[in-house]
Amino acid sequence: MSLLMEGIVNILHWDVLLFLTFGTLLGIIIGSLPGLTSTMGVALMLPLTFGMDAVTGILLLIGVYFGSVYGGSLTAILINTPGTPASAATVIDGYPLTQKGKAQKALTVSTLSCAIGGLVSVIVLILVAPQLANFALKFSAPESFALALFGLSIVSSIAGDSLVKGLMAGTLGLLIASIGLDPIGGFPRFTFGMSELSSGINFIPIMIGLFAASEAFKSMEDIFTENKVKVTIDKVKLKWLEFKGLIGTILRSAGIGTFTGMVPGAGADIAAFVAYNEAKRFAKNKEEFGKGDLRGVAAPEAAGNSVTGGAMIPLLTLGIPGDAVTAVLLGALMVQGLQPGPMLFESNGPIVYTLFVGMLLANVLLLVFGLLGIRLFTKVLLIPQTILTPLILMLCVVGAYSLGNNYFDIVVMFIAGVVGYFFKRFKIPASPVILGLILGPMLESNFRRALVMSQGDLSIFYTRPITVVLLVIAVITLFTPLFSKKLFKKS
Amino acid sequence: MKKSMKCIGLFIVSVLMLAIAGCGNDKSENASDSAGSGDKTDFPSKAITMISPTSAGGGTDATARALAADVEKHLGQSIGVVNKPGGSGSVGMTEGANAKPDGYTVTMVIAELTMLEHMGVSTLNQDQMKAVAMINLDPAALTVPADAPYDTLEEFIDYAKEHPGELQVGNAGTGSIWHVAAESLAKNADIELNHVPFEGAAPAVTALVGGHVDAVTVSPAEVKTQLDAGNLKTLAIMSDKRSDIIPDVPTFTEAGLESETIATWRGITVPNDTPDEIVTILQDAFLKAADEEGFKKFMSSNGLGIELKKADEFNAFMDENYDYYKEMFAELGLGNK
Repeated sequence: MSLLMEGIVNILHWDVLLFLTFGTLLGIIIGSLPGLTSTMGVALMLPLTFGMDAVTGILLLIGVYFGSVYGGSLTAILINTPGTPASAATVIDGYPLTQKGKAQKALTVSTLSCAIGGLVSVIVLILVAPQLANFALKFSAPESFALALFGLSIVSSIAGDSLVKGLMAGTLGLLIASIGLDPIGGFPRFTFGMSELSSGINFIPIMIGLFAASEAFKSMEDIFTENKVKVTIDKVKLKWLEFKGLIGTILRSAGIGTFTGMVPGAGADIAAFVAYNEAKRFAKNKEEFGKGDLRGVAAPEAAGNSVTGGAMIPLLTLGIPGDAVTAVLLGALMVQGLQPGPMLFESNGPIVYTLFVGMLLANVLLLVFGLLGIRLFTKVLLIPQTILTPLILMLCVVGAYSLGNNYFDIVVMFIAGVVGYFFKRFKIPASPVILGLILGPMLESNFRRALVMSQGDLSIFYTRPITVVLLVIAVITLFTPLFSKKLFKKS
Repeated sequence: MKKSMKCIGLFIVSVLMLAIAGCGNDKSENASDSAGSGDKTDFPSKAITMISPTSAGGGTDATARALAADVEKHLGQSIGVVNKPGGSGSVGMTEGANAKPDGYTVTMVIAELTMLEHMGVSTLNQDQMKAVAMINLDPAALTVPADAPYDTLEEFIDYAKEHPGELQVGNAGTGSIWHVAAESLAKNADIELNHVPFEGAAPAVTALVGGHVDAVTVSPAEVKTQLDAGNLKTLAIMSDKRSDIIPDVPTFTEAGLESETIATWRGITVPNDTPDEIVTILQDAFLKAADEEGFKKFMSSNGLGIELKKADEFNAFMDENYDYYKEMFAELGLGNK
């Protein structure tokens, strides 16, 4: 406790606060631009921190990290463009809410969920990090395979009206994910001798194309057919009762996010989809999901942001980075002479607790900036379509290019945009494609790695407790919609 | 009020987009209008682009950015690092090889440059580039859990002989340098190992700490945190001299097993037709920068070894590497030709 107080005192320096605030704001901007990911934001700021003292430098990076996870949902909700993969699940209900004129309400829910999710995960980090540390180590190839399979089974809940169309879209995602060098043997698949394809197709240009470019194509059509959809912005604020109904969803999602964050190799994108699925599973009234349900925004947002605190647990306690962002943070910590691992808390206690306080503060800053900015952000919707549509298309091109400074990604983005347009026409959901793309590589490589480890013995999948539990949940999730439909018919 | 807000919003969006677009390509586009390649005294007269063939966030990217910051002081021009990841580095390095040969586009090349052709991923090799300087080298380090029943390379080999095919060795992917290292160990010691590929070295190390594999053959930098925490121990390194990062650990030869140096390395190259005087200016600037305190501190705190070679030595080194991997890949039946 005294360490926590010391942390609070340490953080009350104008330069620390200034850089944390700057980092958070910068993070929100980076996150909201499609193609600029959290990892890129943090990696670009890294050299700047070399000259700073440890606390200031690390908190600047943490501000960028936390801010960018939140920022992605702004564009997801307002213009159907997930700024980062973490907000791919937010699009499903966020954009329909905007179309109904409830953009302000959706953004309020997203901001509150993000901040609460982030705070919960940091509190878990502060209170029980050492106790949870070894959990991350229990995850090996069979567990990761089971988690990926569970994630994939969510297709059945984000498929929308037609399960068959959802499964088709999910399979398409898996097929695209199989392009490139195969993860175990290193054999090139479907590359047609093109070096751009040998490392596979990055899913971010596809995500930008499927969601954002296709929406822009559709609104171009609307402009010419004079079939104008009048976008309204209701000034109705979120009511206390509505928020009260969301608290359960937010806390559950925060738990899911923190857990997912701890697992090596699973990040905010997976957490958001899982939380969305669980929100739907626990909801009594599932009708509104996919058409603009506030719970469908609260769940992925809370989960996505709570991954941040969860990912810090193995990083700080074991020195194990679970994903690319924490790998950059590990480098930043080491440059500052802070060696993550069991000794960190003993040898650098005051600094660690100062970082904790800074993380809490970063989430509070998100809340403040988010709530203050909502009116400003929604102004985007007032831009006439004839201006907004080309702007979005420009953003798509720039976003796809800036990802790897590669023209090939722009081509991929445009193809995905055209495909996405026809998806809309034929009412095929786009989210399962993204789910397949994110989880396909994780599923395949861990399945095959598990078999390499067991030298071909399949028992590795049913003799390990975590694996079995996850596989059972996956099967239940996949088949629930089928059974519940049958039950409904009988009654 | 509303109108002005709209204008401001539009303005911000367009400025941001220009800024991002600018980050990416202004330098490489500008390079085409340079005319001063004949006159050595005015090089460099404008900003230089450094291509990093990996994505932002990895060790190569961090090294490139830390190095660029110090080279700027010696060249008097700013250096922008551009990430061009993909195809085991072939995408970025091919672009670097095909850039305008005026010295304004340099490439941070990685060990894969001498392996891509044998892997069958690309036709690119070191002959299509001109060496400027080598900056870093990290040898493979055979690392096992701290509580493993073997404390030396010899005991490890004996254990492997008693339990053929049981020891699981994690590597950074099939055909990666760390896979080659483990295969070479198996070949030289005449033992049978089960090779488990991961997506990069970090997940392999995590699996080792979690007890899911028995050993890894990755660089000291990648296991340093866990060595310091006392979770892992390194038995020997595949190099002809000891590493500054873990000076107590013997080399393979010292530990009783003859072995080639198998290491990952990073260096700077330019396109083939770049004039020699420009190469010399770049070489001197990069070597001086790599000797700066800031860069040395960055490298040592991340466990990365500094190994400096001038252009001609670097060139010879890459040729040696190329021949060795050619033989190694053919022997292992890797590669996809």
